[in-house]
Amino acid sequence: MAIFNVHVTIENKPGISDPEGETILNDLVLKGTHSSISKIKTAKMLKFTIKEKDKKIAKAKVQEICDDLRIYNPMVSKVTIDVFDA
Amino acid sequence: MKVGVIVFPGSNCDRDMYHVLTDVFKLDAEYFWHEKGLPKNIDAVILPGGFSYGDRLRSGAIAAHSPIINDVRKMAEKGIPILGVCNGFQILVEAGLLPGALLKNTSLNFMCRWTSLIVENNKTPFTNKLKLHQKIPIPIANGEGRYYVDELTLKKLKKNNQIVFRYSEVVNGSTDRIAGVCNEDGNVVGMMPHPERATESAINPIDNKPSSLIFESLIKTIGVKN
Amino acid sequence: MSLEPQELDELTSKIGRKPTSTELQIVAAEWSEHCSYKSSKKHLKMLPMKGPLVISEKGYDSGVLDVGDGYVITAHIESHNHPSAVEPYGGAATGVGGVIRDILSAGTRPIAIFDGLRFGDIEKDQQARWLFKNAVTGIADYGNCLGIPTIGGEVEFDECYSNYALVDVAAIGFGKKKNLIKNHAKKGDLVVLLGGSTGRDGIGGSQFASDSLESENRSAVQIPDPFIEKLIIEAILEARNQNLIHAMKDLGGGGLSCAVSETADALSIGIEMDVNKVHTRESDMNPDEIMVSESQERMLIVTDNDKFKKIQEICKKFHITCSVIGKVTSGNMMHVKKGKKTCANLPTDLVANATLLDRPSKKPAYLEKIEDEKKLAPITDYSKMMMMFLSSPNIASKIWVYGQYDHEVGIRTVVKPGTDASVLRLDNGKFLAAKIDGNPKHCYINPREGAIGCFEEACRNVVCTGATPIGMLDHLQFGNPEDPEIFWTFLESLKGLTDFAKYFEIPCVGGKVSLYNETPSGPIKPTPIIGILGLIDKTPLYPQKIASGDCLVIIGNTKNEMGGSEYFEYIHKFIGGICPVVNFEESKANMNTVLNVIKKNLLKAVHDCSKGGLGVAVSEICMTHQIGCTVSLDKVPGPKLDADRILFSESHSRYLLVLQKKNLKKLEEILKKSHVSYHMIGVFGDENIRFNLDRKSIIDLRVDKAQKTWSNSLRELVVHG
Repeated sequence: MAIFNVHVTIENKPGISDPEGETILNDLVLKGTHSSISKIKTAKMLKFTIKEKDKKIAKAKVQEICDDLRIYNPMVSKVTIDVFDA
Repeated sequence: MKVGVIVFPGSNCDRDMYHVLTDVFKLDAEYFWHEKGLPKNIDAVILPGGFSYGDRLRSGAIAAHSPIINDVRKMAEKGIPILGVCNGFQILVEAGLLPGALLKNTSLNFMCRWTSLIVENNKTPFTNKLKLHQKIPIPIANGEGRYYVDELTLKKLKKNNQIVFRYSEVVNGSTDRIAGVCNEDGNVVGMMPHPERATESAINPIDNKPSSLIFESLIKTIGVKN
Repeated sequence: MSLEPQELDELTSKIGRKPTSTELQIVAAEWSEHCSYKSSKKHLKMLPMKGPLVISEKGYDSGVLDVGDGYVITAHIESHNHPSAVEPYGGAATGVGGVIRDILSAGTRPIAIFDGLRFGDIEKDQQARWLFKNAVTGIADYGNCLGIPTIGGEVEFDECYSNYALVDVAAIGFGKKKNLIKNHAKKGDLVVLLGGSTGRDGIGGSQFASDSLESENRSAVQIPDPFIEKLIIEAILEARNQNLIHAMKDLGGGGLSCAVSETADALSIGIEMDVNKVHTRESDMNPDEIMVSESQERMLIVTDNDKFKKIQEICKKFHITCSVIGKVTSGNMMHVKKGKKTCANLPTDLVANATLLDRPSKKPAYLEKIEDEKKLAPITDYSKMMMMFLSSPNIASKIWVYGQYDHEVGIRTVVKPGTDASVLRLDNGKFLAAKIDGNPKHCYINPREGAIGCFEEACRNVVCTGATPIGMLDHLQFGNPEDPEIFWTFLESLKGLTDFAKYFEIPCVGGKVSLYNETPSGPIKPTPIIGILGLIDKTPLYPQKIASGDCLVIIGNTKNEMGGSEYFEYIHKFIGGICPVVNFEESKANMNTVLNVIKKNLLKAVHDCSKGGLGVAVSEICMTHQIGCTVSLDKVPGPKLDADRILFSESHSRYLLVLQKKNLKKLEEILKKSHVSYHMIGVFGDENIRFNLDRKSIIDLRVDKAQKTWSNSLRELVVHG
């Protein structure tokens, strides 16, 4: 068994608008001199610390938790799960 | 005497504040859109409550970059009375004109309820007609209203008499029950509760006189100048 | 999205050719139940719509009432049930947004929001808790951001809503009569789309709302953006002040298809538009998607060239987009182009007026035996039962809900939420009281009497503040209308509402029908929601502090009407019995009498008896004012009944009056003269809520303990499950 850090990023699915990201882009970033930025998306990140056999199982376990407990609403959001060695 | 009421995109207590200034206290007030400048003849500035930029990123974080904030900063330096209420307070904090930060309430929910304040500093332009430790019945309405400062800053605030109002009870987890603070010079005041919602007996079920004194203090302050 | 085969035949024969794919999409959206009211429209005409204060103009999405001195109020009600059932946060929030834009369309500023929420049994059902919690947050985040106070509503839990949600939102607007938008247009006027960009979210929403919730329709989810809605409100009102708007409509169900066809039909004009001119979120959207997208926060405006330049200036100030998407033409065609290519060219009256249906109806079989009562298990300890009752989700205080809504912003809220009805001050010195009420438990047992009961309850609530009812909003929510038994319940409710409205001369100023409310385990109970607007010319009854020695008087008879009562359903888990029936004459006499004694300044507070009956109503007064009361149940007017029936019957037309002892004689003189049933039943004082029958104690509770349980139990349930 090993300890892993698992990062769960929850964001709106592609095609679904993200008003917060748009406001930060248009009303803050683009009003400065940072014209090279073309998009900002907001997301929420949860950091799990988990003890599992390997990275694959750790990822699957966290995915299962996210699905079971409705940690994100699949109707609007998607999750990206990244696993790192602790 | 002229009071400027600054309007940001998403301000929503601007009209309430204007009503109280003009109809209740017969002051001369004018709205200023955040992209415009402030004229020189302004005697006091109020940043009203609301959800500037929809509270995105952090409450007040985007409005703090509005062009008008440069003028507010200049006026603050000149000692002109400036009051930020609720989102206005958050903006002043984000702009660095007041110390601290405003975090999510410990309930994690938006809270709208009546509570009462205790006056801790009655030397500011907005409290000089109130008695020290006087109670003010007043409503709060915010989601990110928990005032936070680290211990070192708290010590400094206490030493400089920068704590203007405390809640009389634990409301949202604010450091030291702080509800309002001022800058070191005392002319810039920020508070989370809404005095403009408490000055008229028709809408104040408890007692409208104490919060009226906040506006009467302002009249006393800027009236003397003229 | 699709048309029924016979509807496709009808369309083909009426236009004399095969419709294009865009035409099919447009017509399917507009002929959906949600937009066309094809099942209900024929019958809705029975409701009285006219009254001395009603202002009716073509093309209004909201009801308009004249409140004197050059001012009007507007009101509207809508639901967002299907979207909220799959994405409660966004569904509930965009529900608020939609109804607010209807108020804005008339040219009035929205000044209040009400919401009625219904979910499954949150004590047992985690999904119901999730839906409830997120719907409340959605409404709070949206309404609070707009700076429009949410000042009332109701929350109810019933197993019939398992895996589903009813989210009803009503809104009130206020403005000057001269600023009302007089919807008109002439050839050459510009058709402008203002606000958020058009995206793929929310495609097919209205069709979705007209289907049962069998398949999870993912694309129909709409993303709320209250910030842009706030900017739209301010921009539109600025344009209104400068008289820049000829006609205006909000984009709701059916998106551009419905807004364009309905505007053209209402104003008897044609509209030619180009989908390439619509500002879209994604570049690859096809005409069909653009026409039916239900992206939120958009308004359709008709104006002329010069005025449009000024509108552009205003939009520039607020950083919102406005695009000229078309122009007004003579004739009556809705001509949709993509560049030079025609995508749709249809007569607007054809699009906007689906063929109305005459659905068959049949009395449901379940009603045959519903009034039979079963033998109930005896209650051994009423005090203990009462504590449990006060903490039950339907009876418990809803402060956890309305405490999250900014109900003070706008500084009009004179009587705050948590009372019978909230009261707003208006700029002409008058006051407006408003309330929405529903009661599916009663309506299930008797759709007619249950619906009338909701109507009367909402009236009672505004009467308790001293307001005279001046207008009604109805929202009729039922299951699949193709089922004759469900359709019968719809008709019965509607007939009942019509009879009551006519007898009391309260016009229906707005309404909505929501059908196909089906959960995985069947249809919802009939759920009509009634909103009542009441006007107070002078001063409302401000609740005053109750002191020891103050008297409690009841007006109205308590009858053996236990069917659908919270007591039967929550305590005895029994659905059945006789539904409370409103006696119109008695109801009117009681209402007028209460208004009369409020005007005479004899009372400290008035509270109506509704859910949970007399027992709960008295306890609520005690808990709110933190004072005890001793009540003699034997003195309660009505037939002789057992203690539990006197305590928990939900008979209508009952009011509890609180007054100082010195005013009692004067009050009794008036009540005697008014020929109403009444009796003094209790005296306030000390720290206990006591109900006695024939000097025997039935219930004895500490007020502080009851108050703590009642106030905190809903939050506890949501937060800790």
